[in-house]
Amino acid sequence: MAEPLIRMQNIRKSYGRVQALEDANFHVNEREIVGLLGDNGAGKSTLIKVLSGAVPLTSGDIFIRGKKVSLRSTSDAIAHGIETIYQDSALVTQLSIARNLFLGREPIKPPRFLNRMDQEAMNTVARDLLKQVGISKNIPPTTPIGSLSGGERQAVAIARAMHFDSDLIILDEPTNNLGVAETQGVLSFVRSARDSGHSCIFIAHNIHHVFQVVDRIVVMRRGKVVADDIDPKKTNVTEVERIITGMSDKEIRDAVADGTPSH
Amino acid sequence: MENHSLIQRLIARPEFGPFVLLVVEIAVFWGFNHDFLSPQNISNTLAFTVELGLIALAMTLLMTSGEFDLSVGSLFGFSPVLMWTLFNAGVTSLEVGFVVALLVAALIGLVNGWFVTQLKIPSFLVTLGMLLVVRGSALFITDGFPQRTWSAEGSWLAEALVGDFFIGPFRIYMSLFWFIAAAIALGYVLTQSRTGNWIQAGGGNPNAARARGVNVNRVKIGLFVLSSVMASLAGVISSLRTSAANPNSGTGYELEVIAMVVIGGTALTGGRGTIIGTVLGILILRVMRNGIVLIGVPGLAYNIFIGAIILGMMALHSWLERRHQAGT
Repeated sequence: MAEPLIRMQNIRKSYGRVQALEDANFHVNEREIVGLLGDNGAGKSTLIKVLSGAVPLTSGDIFIRGKKVSLRSTSDAIAHGIETIYQDSALVTQLSIARNLFLGREPIKPPRFLNRMDQEAMNTVARDLLKQVGISKNIPPTTPIGSLSGGERQAVAIARAMHFDSDLIILDEPTNNLGVAETQGVLSFVRSARDSGHSCIFIAHNIHHVFQVVDRIVVMRRGKVVADDIDPKKTNVTEVERIITGMSDKEIRDAVADGTPSH
Repeated sequence: MENHSLIQRLIARPEFGPFVLLVVEIAVFWGFNHDFLSPQNISNTLAFTVELGLIALAMTLLMTSGEFDLSVGSLFGFSPVLMWTLFNAGVTSLEVGFVVALLVAALIGLVNGWFVTQLKIPSFLVTLGMLLVVRGSALFITDGFPQRTWSAEGSWLAEALVGDFFIGPFRIYMSLFWFIAAAIALGYVLTQSRTGNWIQAGGGNPNAARARGVNVNRVKIGLFVLSSVMASLAGVISSLRTSAANPNSGTGYELEVIAMVVIGGTALTGGRGTIIGTVLGILILRVMRNGIVLIGVPGLAYNIFIGAIILGMMALHSWLERRHQAGT
């Protein structure tokens, strides 16, 4: 079997006496959208924070395409192609779309010592990217993020991850507080990200949204991954809700076995 | 949004309010007293304007990054005292004393920045502490007495910083050119350079900036150093121009400078700053100080007008900001 893009093995994370992750095992394949589900306190956020370099793990290993890596900071994670998009903290509202897209990697016009941003190049790329993620309205790339809607902001953040060729885009509650049309927009951005070769982890409280877009569902409960191969096409929301809220191991096994091809 | 006319876009700019206020202010003072626009009065106003202005320019960048510096007024007093003390004691030439004063200021800025970024103490507290340390040092070095300054005559440093000449009836000091150069350079940094993008991002959403690999702390430390060095330079310029080095000079300047910056449209909370606005803010306050004296209002009433301007401009900026956020 081919090595997955990301493999997290026996991940433990404790905050003092609280065990947030207990031997969690998790993987994401190439060109795959994984829905990560679990109740509050199940360990989803901690798992994501470990993977995005925001918190150090207590023990365990992370592999990218089979190669062991250590993610000590968010910059480390970005350098390894892992981009995390938090709903509220991804963008600078005062800056324009183009300046946000290139923040930290602004192209420089020669001569370099003048440190001058190539704003035309930034705007051109931004215009193309906005079209690519399907923002239909004619929004100029110089518009400040502050005057965009929640869905448009998500689109900009996703476009940025796609442009800089992140292998894995982690979306933390991308559809929170969004209207119906905007949610559909974000889901289509996620699909287009996968279609252009990126993998995604999709975290959302709304299971219906997860079902619409993901290839595989992973459920966490009390710091452990309790089901990691649920095919959304072969199960239903009620089943998954039962797994999230907790059932006997046999019941989970049955539910997973019903919903997934044997392997 | 793109259908908005040029005038609508102009009105929506943060600099528009301060610009109108400045024009109104000048018109009113000129209406009361035509001497207000006399070459002599304009020359006098400009001479002092640029000294506080140099500090306000650096403060604009610092405040855009979400921090501010209360120690600038004390550095304005301390640096010339240090330079003249070194020179009068025969330790160094005036020029070397000047360089030493700037280096000490840079070090003070570095310490401010280190406390704020590494120990995570709010800049209000750090720079308040530094204000007392620096002002106290100036008073201690001099026993509270002004320093002798008469030997600057003919020094090339004095010529370069405050040498004066006449353009028609206007008496112009070299410091005006340094101010214009600084305004152009810092305006360029803020709006055109990559560093400017980092300054705005560091003030607007530091976590987002860090997540993109921007070293927000380094940017902020650099700006604290810039703020201290500019305050020091302004103090030396003022001292050379007035032939005085008083350890108490610059008292209260920190608040006047911050007022100039926020009146111009820079956000106190960071993320948004404008050098053009700051230049307007500088002129608004200096013209006000000069004008109310000229039309016969008691100088002691100055603060009433300044306070009213600050409140009025803040209300305007907050209204513009809400419109902006609403996307209109």
